[in-house]
Amino acid sequence: MSSVLDLSAADAASDLRDRCAIVGVGNSRLGKVPGVSSLDLLVEAMRNAIADSGISLSEIDGIVCRGPDDAYGHHQLIGARLGINARFSTTLDNGGASQIMSIILAVFAIRAGMAKTVICGYGRDAWSRTHATEEARVRNETRPASQRPREFGPEYGYFGAPAAHAFGAQRHMALYGTTREHFAEIAMAFREHALRNPDAMMKKPMTREDYFAAKMIVAPFCMLDCSLRSDGAGAVIVASTERARDLKQHPVLIKGFGTHNNLRGWFNDDNMVNTAAGPSGKTAYRMAGLGPADVDTAQIYDCFTYMVLTQLEDYGFCKKGEGGDFVSSGALRMTGALPTNTSGGQLSECHAEGMLQICEGVRQLRHTYPSARQAKDAEIALISGHGGNQVCHSTLILGRA
Amino acid sequence: MADTAAAEKPQKPLPRPSPESVPYWEAAARHRLEIPRCNACGNYWFPPSASCPHCLSTHFAWTQVSGRGKVFSFVVFHRVYHPAWEGDVPYVVALIELEEGPRMLSNVVGIPVDQVTCDMPVKVVFDDVASGVALPKFTPA
Repeated sequence: MSSVLDLSAADAASDLRDRCAIVGVGNSRLGKVPGVSSLDLLVEAMRNAIADSGISLSEIDGIVCRGPDDAYGHHQLIGARLGINARFSTTLDNGGASQIMSIILAVFAIRAGMAKTVICGYGRDAWSRTHATEEARVRNETRPASQRPREFGPEYGYFGAPAAHAFGAQRHMALYGTTREHFAEIAMAFREHALRNPDAMMKKPMTREDYFAAKMIVAPFCMLDCSLRSDGAGAVIVASTERARDLKQHPVLIKGFGTHNNLRGWFNDDNMVNTAAGPSGKTAYRMAGLGPADVDTAQIYDCFTYMVLTQLEDYGFCKKGEGGDFVSSGALRMTGALPTNTSGGQLSECHAEGMLQICEGVRQLRHTYPSARQAKDAEIALISGHGGNQVCHSTLILGRA
Repeated sequence: MADTAAAEKPQKPLPRPSPESVPYWEAAARHRLEIPRCNACGNYWFPPSASCPHCLSTHFAWTQVSGRGKVFSFVVFHRVYHPAWEGDVPYVVALIELEEGPRMLSNVVGIPVDQVTCDMPVKVVFDDVASGVALPKFTPA
């Protein structure tokens, strides 16, 4: 049912290539941070991003963020905490695809003259929320009751995000012979990366044996296929490329972006195995004038292991159905063909709905990491965002100036 | 004591219909699988809504379907997300693709969990879970 992708719009967007840059990144404390609200975690990350950029708070005239699912007017609460008014300010509602979208909106606002310096961010208190009390731990639910389905699911014992994504994994396994060995390699590669990241929540190595001994959650997923319940926030600051050249960090240019939304539904068409990453990525590549072979490091939205595998295919790093072989080649490791989720990702660093992966993409392109953490000679980074009811997608391509 | 224990036993949630889905659940209670079918273009759709997602016509009829389909994909719940399923794990939740096209979530029953496969043919059965409430479930055809 998908229409032929019309990329003429991306040609128009290529006027925006390299016009804006990410000039500051920051994160809050990550992992288990009890007693701090998601709002204050986000402000902590924003404070760090401001310090990282060297920009003064008074220069920030735009805020785009996505709040916890039960906060109304989230950007207003953040602005109040930062003590600023903003010419351009709003909150997004595309789940894990929102974070890249916030950067896209920042670019639009800056190029339209509606703001000069936009701060974007997301904070989450999912660990605290699910561990504050024994009842919360058992319920293990981050969404308020009003947002949960009332029919066509709960009466059949269908609950939670792992099951929704596991349906895609199972279908991919049936169509292409993908196995849990492939998922294990993804989980192990990201864990290896996390061990080099002092901020990461997960500190212990993971072996193949650990993976296969882990508790099954919703087959084909075990515990180690699932991203972390964590507290944490990330933030970035977007400004014009001219402004970026006067600031203290090496500029990281916004070369391309795209979005796509399979609103007909995750369970419809072949959306579970050909995700919205495909058209979103094509749009971003076209705008950037680049292709998958140009990408030096990828930060792929890893809510579940399988989602990495299908997105690697959808982004053209390998053919559809060959994601298993691609990851088994060791491609995702630091010395592999495509060092991926080099901070540990949401599976092993912290789950802040993709915001920390944007920060990591920027940091890789600054070349300030010790060599063990540095994707060698990384000039181009691709970052993905995935979310909503599994159908919203966004893509960001960054380049070292 | 036994009565108290029974009263406190966690109950599985019953479907809480939206205005658009009331006829679906009323038909299910009579052991009929009925979904909306567009009078204008013939399209079947699910879940129910007040206009055809193919042509946007608002003229449709609740139409009994064959009840035959296949398992498009499935998952096996090992974790107990709701205490009422404590004794049921592991259990299968499947995405059923009806012969008429639409897909719906359900359980596959009457077969060991480890024998369910994608594309397996299935047919509907009805599980009377409460007075006036039956859930369409699927079993190997």
